[in-house]
Amino acid sequence: MNGSAARRRAAITGIGVVAPNGVGTDDFWKATCQGTSVLAPIDREGCEQFPLRIAGLVNGFDPAQFVEDRVLVATDRFTHFALAAAGMALDDSGLPIDAEGDPFGIGVVTAAGSGGGEFGQRELQQLWSRGPHHVGPYQSIAWFYAASTGQISIRGGFKGPCAVVASDEPGGLDALAHAARDVVRGTSAVVVGAAEAPIAPYSMVCQLGYPELSTVAEAEQAYMPFAEQADGFVPAEGGAFFVLEDEATARARGARIRAVVAGHAATFTGASRWAESREGLAHAIRSALAEADCPPEDVDVVFADALAVPEADRAEALALADVLGEHAARVAVTAPKAGTGRAYCGASALDTAAAALALEQGLIPPTPNADGCAYDLDLVTGFARTTAPRAALVLSRGLMGSNSALVLRIGSES
Amino acid sequence: MTVELTSTDLATLLKQKAGVTVSPLDLDRPGATFEDFGVDSLGLLAVVGELENRHGRSMTSAETSKSSAEFLQAVNLSLKEGS
Repeated sequence: MNGSAARRRAAITGIGVVAPNGVGTDDFWKATCQGTSVLAPIDREGCEQFPLRIAGLVNGFDPAQFVEDRVLVATDRFTHFALAAAGMALDDSGLPIDAEGDPFGIGVVTAAGSGGGEFGQRELQQLWSRGPHHVGPYQSIAWFYAASTGQISIRGGFKGPCAVVASDEPGGLDALAHAARDVVRGTSAVVVGAAEAPIAPYSMVCQLGYPELSTVAEAEQAYMPFAEQADGFVPAEGGAFFVLEDEATARARGARIRAVVAGHAATFTGASRWAESREGLAHAIRSALAEADCPPEDVDVVFADALAVPEADRAEALALADVLGEHAARVAVTAPKAGTGRAYCGASALDTAAAALALEQGLIPPTPNADGCAYDLDLVTGFARTTAPRAALVLSRGLMGSNSALVLRIGSES
Repeated sequence: MTVELTSTDLATLLKQKAGVTVSPLDLDRPGATFEDFGVDSLGLLAVVGELENRHGRSMTSAETSKSSAEFLQAVNLSLKEGS
């Protein structure tokens, strides 16, 4: 076995964000630390008549600013988000991409849950209203959940290992773990992340059957994880992308190590079986910490899944207690997504971005709209907490039953 | 009266359907290929689909055109035949 290969570690060297509370990593982080909620009534055409009223919408995003015309006509909004965030992450990483470089050294991994619903709806409406000849050829690629991996790879000329993870909401974490394994095995860099755009009529109809969805019409009360009055979650659009590289190689080229991907594990406990998710999530946390060689008491901050369904919130609090023991009641727990909504796979990617920034900046962002916690957790509310976290645990569960845990370590420690 | 597709019309369609900006003058350049302009096969298919819907007839011969001159010729031939 090659000794140097065994020591490879995946580090985040670039972050790019398109979120309801900010387009661009700096705007996102500033808004996240302020803890302001941007949840708002859905005012998009064709979306007004549904019982789902509140969402986290990405406003002020001009796709033409990030995506070439030729690609714009061929892609859905979820891919526009992905191309924009991936572009920002690449710029942030300073990864040299030159014609002489090895194109097989850079891979792309994305996660997607709903695919290109808005694009698909437009074309299917053409199909039944005007006939098959009126369906454009880009329908064949734009709706597909793999579209973003393909477009990022084509744009950059990245011919390294490419993949799409379809694993429910934790897909954002699972994609990072998949990419980290690629890096450990020898791939120079992987562009990885997840973005979703499920706030369009057809996509919204697909979500209406979820019993976990909040139907509260007041934005401030619609998504209140860990609160007594928790009544479900609010969906959102957006996501985050990263550049992962081998830590030592990245340091040698002078890159800023924004965080290290230290451990990950995933389990499955069945759709909407929230009581059972306790055991699955606990197992994922335990395995991720073991991989990261991180004792429970070394976890300084938890970015919670925070579904805001009482049974699920209780299971998450208990899973933390099962693994962290007494430390579960002391560790800072936060859920910034209470102010932006859950962008499905994009949500776990956004939480990872926030976790990396929290480690880097020594600041734990608060849980918006929260004024207390009904469980034995130290939920960060009100204001961001200045501290010096060195390890962050990011948790995610999906409505279809997946549970994942990801451990990030601070980038400045070697 | 026969309708004819001009290079100006084609430039407009390429912009709308394939997202590619190209001037009619460049389309008229001898030997100019769609590949030169960055129009891929799906983009060309989108343009052909629009023309077929507009004129109510099949134009499959245009789909395989490599150059803009070939394309215009194939489309205009099928327009003439159908008139």
